Amino acid sequence: MSALLEIEGLRARVAGTEVLKGLTLAVPAGEVHAIMGPNGSGKSTLAHVLAGRPGYEITAGSARFAGADLLAMAPEERARAGLFLGFQYPVEIAGVNNAYLLRAALNARRRARGEPEVDAFDFLALVRGKMKTMQMDEAFLARGVNEGFSGGEKKRNEILQMLVLEPTLAVLDETDSGLDIDALKVVSQGINTLRSPDRAVVLVTHYQRLLDHVAPDRVHVLARGRIVQSGGPELALELEKRGYDWLLEGASAA
Amino acid sequence: MSALERIHSALDALPAARAAAAARLRTLGLPPRNHEDWRYANLAALEAVADFRSHAAAAPPSALPTGLPEPLPGHARLLLVDGRLAAGTSLPTGLRATAPTAASAAADDAGAGLLRFGLLASALAPTPLAFEFDGEGALELLLVATPGATGYASIELRLAPQAKLQLAERHAGSTGPQGLACHHLSLRLADGAQLRHQRLLALGGQGLQLDTLDAVVGASSLYQQRCMVAGAGTVRSSQSLRLAGRGAQLDWQGLAAGSGRDVRDILLALRHEAPETVSSQLFRGIADGRARVACTADAYVAASAPGTRLAQSLRGLIDGEGAEVDLRPRLTILTDAVQASHGATTGRLDEDLLFYLLARGLDAAEARALLKWAFLGEVFAGCEPAALRVAAERAIAAQLRERPPAELLQ
Repeated sequence: MSALLEIEGLRARVAGTEVLKGLTLAVPAGEVHAIMGPNGSGKSTLAHVLAGRPGYEITAGSARFAGADLLAMAPEERARAGLFLGFQYPVEIAGVNNAYLLRAALNARRRARGEPEVDAFDFLALVRGKMKTMQMDEAFLARGVNEGFSGGEKKRNEILQMLVLEPTLAVLDETDSGLDIDALKVVSQGINTLRSPDRAVVLVTHYQRLLDHVAPDRVHVLARGRIVQSGGPELALELEKRGYDWLLEGASAA
Repeated sequence: MSALERIHSALDALPAARAAAAARLRTLGLPPRNHEDWRYANLAALEAVADFRSHAAAAPPSALPTGLPEPLPGHARLLLVDGRLAAGTSLPTGLRATAPTAASAAADDAGAGLLRFGLLASALAPTPLAFEFDGEGALELLLVATPGATGYASIELRLAPQAKLQLAERHAGSTGPQGLACHHLSLRLADGAQLRHQRLLALGGQGLQLDTLDAVVGASSLYQQRCMVAGAGTVRSSQSLRLAGRGAQLDWQGLAAGSGRDVRDILLALRHEAPETVSSQLFRGIADGRARVACTADAYVAASAPGTRLAQSLRGLIDGEGAEVDLRPRLTILTDAVQASHGATTGRLDEDLLFYLLARGLDAAEARALLKWAFLGEVFAGCEPAALRVAAERAIAAQLRERPPAELLQ
């Protein structure tokens, strides 16, 4: 059976500079994959390319999500098909409240699946439960999206959105950055809640500490636009000890 | 005949009581098109006006137009059709009719050049009105235009000391492409008075609307105005706002939306004339299609106004390839000990915000609509009564060809 996410020889340019240089990756359903790598290696570019952010030019390769050509889909189609991007820097949108965005996003996904929309009452019951998991006060629902939130609150809000939307594939771009230890545990718990045999999670991260709480099935090292090493959870521990230089030499040789 | 010649012809037929306004207007003439204060006013639209004579003055009263907005809850209603007082009018307790004086007041005003179309309204209004208000109350002022008509309205309103009035001003109906709606509202707030003034300029059709407002705010009094422009082909709003008494306050908020080849031009001439006066001006404008939206906030702090506090925030959103937004904050300060801030920015929808919404599965049209409503949100916040806010949102939605928030947020 094919993987939930299959990337083959993907090349992408940003502002005329090639950032992804033939990246190949397969993420089966039911697994959590961590993508690590030095600054500027293309991790965030990969996350944004998968989500369809404008400004990235795909020059070669393919990406298939649940068998469909991901790169041919508009960003909103990808989201409705079950792909969720957790932003490294979630934006603030004053004037659009959290509750509205969550419900609109959920109903967009449900419509795409041929399911009836949730009404305000059922939505509130659903979101209250998820907020409890994320240890968030209900007052956040009435506030503008991420408006005036601390860095940690924004990251919790990203995971709250993920839990409400229940995506098939979550790509989380440095969700652990800027979190204190307690917040990291809460966010990790949220991610673990999503784990199931029919879903997959791609964690883009710099640090082993997130992987202490969310155990990955596979760890990949992305360097100079390609996956240069893959392994089990032990690879992350080795990176913590040795850094990336030993792999970068190999990548240069290749 | 040119527009000016035809205006003169209309003035020739005036009774003597309006001669002062007419004479002043003849002296002033039309504004020079290249003048900074009139650059965006689209004075060429005057040439399209079929007849400058007052439609209501020449014709017998007709039946009330159909489709009038429902009366606002808790408000008495003053109803004018093409400038003439119509059946269905009720006045709140505390409102007393007096003799009109606006024409001479405007003629004496140092800024009469700015208010010249107010002089035209004062000279030609079929039913010039003047009121004094004391106590507390709520009044809806509904000015209705009928297709093809030229309508003038002139209304003076004086608030007694400590009086509190909620004034909801609505412009409804349609002038048609060759019509003109020209009105002048003159406000005087005595010491300690409070006027909360909501304005919805939402005429249908592609005609011309010339709005003139002059307000004088007395000591320790408060004038709040929320001006929402979402109708007619060309709208020019000329406003003279004077903080004349110690501690007078002005809170002005405005929004304008235009599409197609609409023109929305708002000019505020604000004068801080007394010590410790406070004002804020917040404007949000959206130009779609090939529309032009302009807002000039010209604030002057006189040497007689130490301790003034003043804040301006003007923002524009361009949403059409040929659209144009022009925001001009101007500050002239002639005294020390003033706190003043101003900012003016114009741009397109933020691509990062748009992508965030798309990445959550919202379709592009809904995401864009949400961001536009969010952009206007500061002005809508606190707009009461709710029925007026809903009407304003619908008018803006029609301009922008978007769903109103009440439907989006269902």
